[in-house]
Amino acid sequence: MRDVAVVGVGLSKHVSKRRDVNIPELVWEGVSAAYEDAGITPRDLDGIITGNMPAFEGVNLPELWGAGHWGAYNKPVLRITTGGTTGGSVGHGAFYAVASGLMDTVIAIAFEKQSDGDSTAGLNTVAVADMAPFLSYGIDPAFMLAFGGGAVGVAVYQASSYMKRSGCTPHHLDKVSVLCRTNAAKNPAAHLKQPGLTPEEVARTALMQYPLRFGHVCPASDGACAMILTTAEKAKKLTDKPAFIRSVASCSEEGALVGIAAAGTANTDPCAQEGCKVAAANAYRKAGIKEPRQEIDLAEPYAPFAHQLLMFYERLLLCDEGEAPSILDSGSMELDGALPVCPSGGVISTNAIGASALERIAEAALQIMGKAGEHQVEKDVHKAVAHGWGGAVNLNVVAVLADTPTPRG
Amino acid sequence: MEYKDETTSISGSWNLGQWHWKHETAVLMQHFLASLKDKKVLGLKCPECGLVYCPPKPYCSCLSIPEEWVEISDEGVVTTFTFSGSWSYGGMEEGAGTPRIIVGVMLDGSNTEMLSQLEDADRDHVDVGMRVKVKWADEPQGTIEDVMHSLPA
Ligand SMILES: [Zn+2]
Repeated sequence: MRDVAVVGVGLSKHVSKRRDVNIPELVWEGVSAAYEDAGITPRDLDGIITGNMPAFEGVNLPELWGAGHWGAYNKPVLRITTGGTTGGSVGHGAFYAVASGLMDTVIAIAFEKQSDGDSTAGLNTVAVADMAPFLSYGIDPAFMLAFGGGAVGVAVYQASSYMKRSGCTPHHLDKVSVLCRTNAAKNPAAHLKQPGLTPEEVARTALMQYPLRFGHVCPASDGACAMILTTAEKAKKLTDKPAFIRSVASCSEEGALVGIAAAGTANTDPCAQEGCKVAAANAYRKAGIKEPRQEIDLAEPYAPFAHQLLMFYERLLLCDEGEAPSILDSGSMELDGALPVCPSGGVISTNAIGASALERIAEAALQIMGKAGEHQVEKDVHKAVAHGWGGAVNLNVVAVLADTPTPRG
Repeated sequence: MEYKDETTSISGSWNLGQWHWKHETAVLMQHFLASLKDKKVLGLKCPECGLVYCPPKPYCSCLSIPEEWVEISDEGVVTTFTFSGSWSYGGMEEGAGTPRIIVGVMLDGSNTEMLSQLEDADRDHVDVGMRVKVKWADEPQGTIEDVMHSLPA
């Protein structure tokens, strides 16, 4: 296996409605920034790995009309789509291409232009896997909707369960939103920027569904992210300070949605997220990391809902279960803290869904390369963990990045 | 070239209601549902690791085949919950519509959870760990809806 280096990162602006550009043009903003950052042109590419959510923009083959625009003429194009984890899986696909020796230089592109389509309709096509048993038991879909459908429906059961088991209070949820949205205010690519936001202001936003308020939930964004990955040898010629993707690992559980998924590892507590623990342990092992709590400098968990930042911090094995709320209170997760979390502002501030899990890897890379700008954390970042959650709420993807390649032998 | 804040949009729509698909109930589920008519809740037990799946499924996470039907209780414990509709929370009046309490329930003897609408309960006293029981209809219909309403136990 070969070492894999990140030599370029590009992000478009993220806002709720980009009516001035179409999808290929929006994505080009991220893609061209990545080419410029890496100092290469599309001619240097061996292939393109891309992805977005299935059917979100009303089309299901966007890579084929977008790829030419992004520099893929006469090049291999591979689309990967795995729900909320899509961007992470795209990053993994690009990693596999370079690590395997099959390609030297690839671009990973992930995007979503939610304002062009109907995200609820798109999500329904993802949710059919979980809805199908309901329907086949003879349940009217309206009855099912009363139980809280969609992504928020999944999240509220998870949040209730996590809060009970961890001691996380509504005030902790408010503080997570403040941490993320104030970090986002320093990130030019972020969507919801709220400098000076206070927990009291978050607590005054309307309830979406118990226990989550609007202030605890991600926005719907238009945006794109691109990363250029290459071999260690080629990276040397392009930059003095690449970020290395040391390892990737993913784990699919059976439906982790509480309820009657006719599936489940019998571990249907939606906050258990055993798959995240498995993926994290595998990723650390492959990355040569023995003590993640001591060795990881920065975490970008995938948290579109406030409780998930704390829950996934625990499931990424960065502390004991139930410890994350007090770690948040300690200030350790801040930009100047001991283990900064979501310095980018996280998914709770910016969610162009298909792009979001790639943006976690991109932020980890930017922080290691020292190119994050105003939201660059205070400490030196040698090792970072980036995470994605999605699929049919049953897939976790983890990547470990570092400023040096994986030690071998 | 002149850049604009907004360009011309062309709209279209897909009629998802015209999109038809089928999902088979499968034999195990048919047996499970039929037993509900007798107010009996069945689970399927794995011979290898002993986990009990309710509703049943044909494969276990330990890669063995669950095959033993066991009767499980119609009482269980709340594992998670949420509320919908209008109510007062954190000092504010929230939401709109009929108040509902929805709970995740793990029935005694099962290792999996189901969602259920909890009736005749005080929201302020709903919590993880609370005991509840299935609210049966006088004449259960043999659908999953038979076990999707519950009462405090
Ligand atoms: Zn088993």
